[in-house]
Amino acid sequence: MQPIPRIAAATAATTALALLLTGCGSGGSEQASAKDKQTLTVWGMGEEGKHLAKLGKEFNEKHSNITVKVTPVGWDVVHQKLTSAVAAGELPDMAQMGSTMMGEFIELQALEPVDEKTFDKGDYFPAAWNSGVKDGKAYGVPWYVDTRALYYRTDLAEKAGVDEPPATWDDQRKLAKAYKDEAKAEWGTYHQPANVGTWQTWLPFLYSAGGQLLDKSGKPALDSPESVKALEEYAHYFDKGLSRKSSPPDYDVVKDFGSGDAPMFISGPWIVNNIKDQQPQLKGKYATAPLPADESSTSWVGGASLVTFEDSEHKAAAKEFQKFLTETEQQGRWYEMAKSLPAKKAAWDEPALKNAPEQLDAFEEQLKTAKTVPPLAKWEEFASKIDEGVARISQKGESPEKAAAWMQKATQGLVD
Amino acid sequence: MTTTTDSRRGAPGSTGKVRPGAGTGKGAGPRRRDRLSVQNLPGWMFSSPFLVLFLTFMAVPIVATLVMSFTDFGLANVRDPFSTEFTGLENYTRLFEDERFLTALFNTGYFVVLGVPLTVGAGLVAAVLLNSGVGRLRTFFRVGFYAPVVTSIVAVAVVWRFVLDPADGLISGLAAEVGLTSPDFLGSKALAMPSLIVMAVWRNMGTAMVLFLAGLQGIPTEVREAARLDGASMWQEFRSVTVPLLRPTMLYVSVMTTIGFLNVFEEPFVMTEGGPDNSTLTVSLDMYREGFDFFHMGYASAMAYVLFTVILAITLLQLRLLKDKTR
Repeated sequence: MQPIPRIAAATAATTALALLLTGCGSGGSEQASAKDKQTLTVWGMGEEGKHLAKLGKEFNEKHSNITVKVTPVGWDVVHQKLTSAVAAGELPDMAQMGSTMMGEFIELQALEPVDEKTFDKGDYFPAAWNSGVKDGKAYGVPWYVDTRALYYRTDLAEKAGVDEPPATWDDQRKLAKAYKDEAKAEWGTYHQPANVGTWQTWLPFLYSAGGQLLDKSGKPALDSPESVKALEEYAHYFDKGLSRKSSPPDYDVVKDFGSGDAPMFISGPWIVNNIKDQQPQLKGKYATAPLPADESSTSWVGGASLVTFEDSEHKAAAKEFQKFLTETEQQGRWYEMAKSLPAKKAAWDEPALKNAPEQLDAFEEQLKTAKTVPPLAKWEEFASKIDEGVARISQKGESPEKAAAWMQKATQGLVD
Repeated sequence: MTTTTDSRRGAPGSTGKVRPGAGTGKGAGPRRRDRLSVQNLPGWMFSSPFLVLFLTFMAVPIVATLVMSFTDFGLANVRDPFSTEFTGLENYTRLFEDERFLTALFNTGYFVVLGVPLTVGAGLVAAVLLNSGVGRLRTFFRVGFYAPVVTSIVAVAVVWRFVLDPADGLISGLAAEVGLTSPDFLGSKALAMPSLIVMAVWRNMGTAMVLFLAGLQGIPTEVREAARLDGASMWQEFRSVTVPLLRPTMLYVSVMTTIGFLNVFEEPFVMTEGGPDNSTLTVSLDMYREGFDFFHMGYASAMAYVLFTVILAITLLQLRLLKDKTR
């Protein structure tokens, strides 16, 4: 007579099984057609996520049967949220996905291939389209592209006796020093010293020095002389006290840019909007410029694609929404809203882009020569090794040669 | 043992007496049947909510992580768990070559070795003072010391960041008043960890204090009176009466504080992300990064078991060292 433990065990087993089943819900479920009444769940990232909700409402006005529910997710947590969601089987129907994350999620078989009859490859910038291509199949519709350029305070530069944007690495060093010594700024510039995303500021240095992330055979090339040179240049700013050696987890450079504590930094086009919203007094007191050059002035192309998840039951609706978002006219409007540069070539002739604020010119210029970040399945990990490698020179005070060798060793196992 | 429990329960039948012929080897038979008998049904029913929750949310994950720690379970295996490969002890051997993990282990040790005695000591001092002095303000102070324990870590982090901020923080402001410059506490390799320790002590001493207060009230007044009649000074009374009689409380407080501190995660996570230069990277934080950022579940599980072993060893050591010797 032992009914109870059996029941308890059976209940536990059933619960566990139920959890597993709901957790790993298969993708073979029924598909809703685009005409059914349904809710489309979308994850939007960072600044774009906030604006995307507005477009979702507009879409709903045209397609009254499809309600778009946008969840904004911060860029700093998005990778972790997405991987957890893959594990738990709780992915939304579609999402905006950063170009560097595509490789990983394609590898995971979490993405639905793009219908290439609806979305024509030729309409988009090749660099953007290719960031989502694996084995000849495209998994994302490019939505916007971005790149990194230099922001600097013109009023403080004037005070420091500099009236031209820095054109070379040497000029950049001099300007940073002048900001600190002549204009009495707290720091000369802000180069992210450590933690997640440090690679984004350092990679332009590597590319401008003529370096690459991977060599021709696909192996990491982080111990190349160019890489050492880029690290050396980056280290200069910490060694001379021109950039802070640590910043708190949610550090916002725009605030210090506004107060004049960090009068120069490298970032993307969305900052133009952030400055307008958060530091309106800076109007006319700052400018952007193409990255100061070493061998060349070369930035990297980022951006985001629109992806549909394989598990979604609303693929048709997702396609409709993606069509809506990538219409040429819509891309021009998107630029006005989020200051994100269109991934669709035709959109560059839209009036919104022709009348762009002058601060965006530098980005357009930069985009012409910018290089892609190679799609890697383990990019996040690869990038975290760069983050740590840079932290080694900024915080540990290691020599660039040593840090470069360390990065090379740490990333070797991460490429296939 | 079997006999007494059975007879006390007064179970019908002959279980009350050891049957002749039922050898010691078979002793487990009747006992087991008895435990699962109808009389115990209500007991099982009462415990089933706990058992179900425990099995689903504790036992299964505990076993799963143990198994996982011997595999290379990663993100790719989430959708296809059967492709996981057993790698034996590889995760564990790799751990002890992993510079980051060793740093994390060292930092956690640093945090515990400094943090636990400070927390226990501060809690004890606060409890003794509250127990003897301040009179009507006692509740006020008790709430004051306990409030950080129940405050959300995010709120605490915001406040402490403000306190420690090198540019316009409280400490740097006070330092500027007297013409000094304060260091960048969280940005300095040497000071980041001590800053977190101070914060953790402040945040956790409330728990220790409340437990010590309860313990202090359990000390009979006669003992104190006798000590005083014998001419003991305040310090002597504290050292020779209070502390020895508080030993059981002390044991509990240090064991619980040590376990909590060995698992430290929130403080570095919200304040420093483990920086600068990994100087505040703790085992839990490293585990979280490996597990959830890169989805190296096998590797992270191995870390969890190393941490578990360390906690177990230290707890056993404490149980032995702080054993109640008054009985």
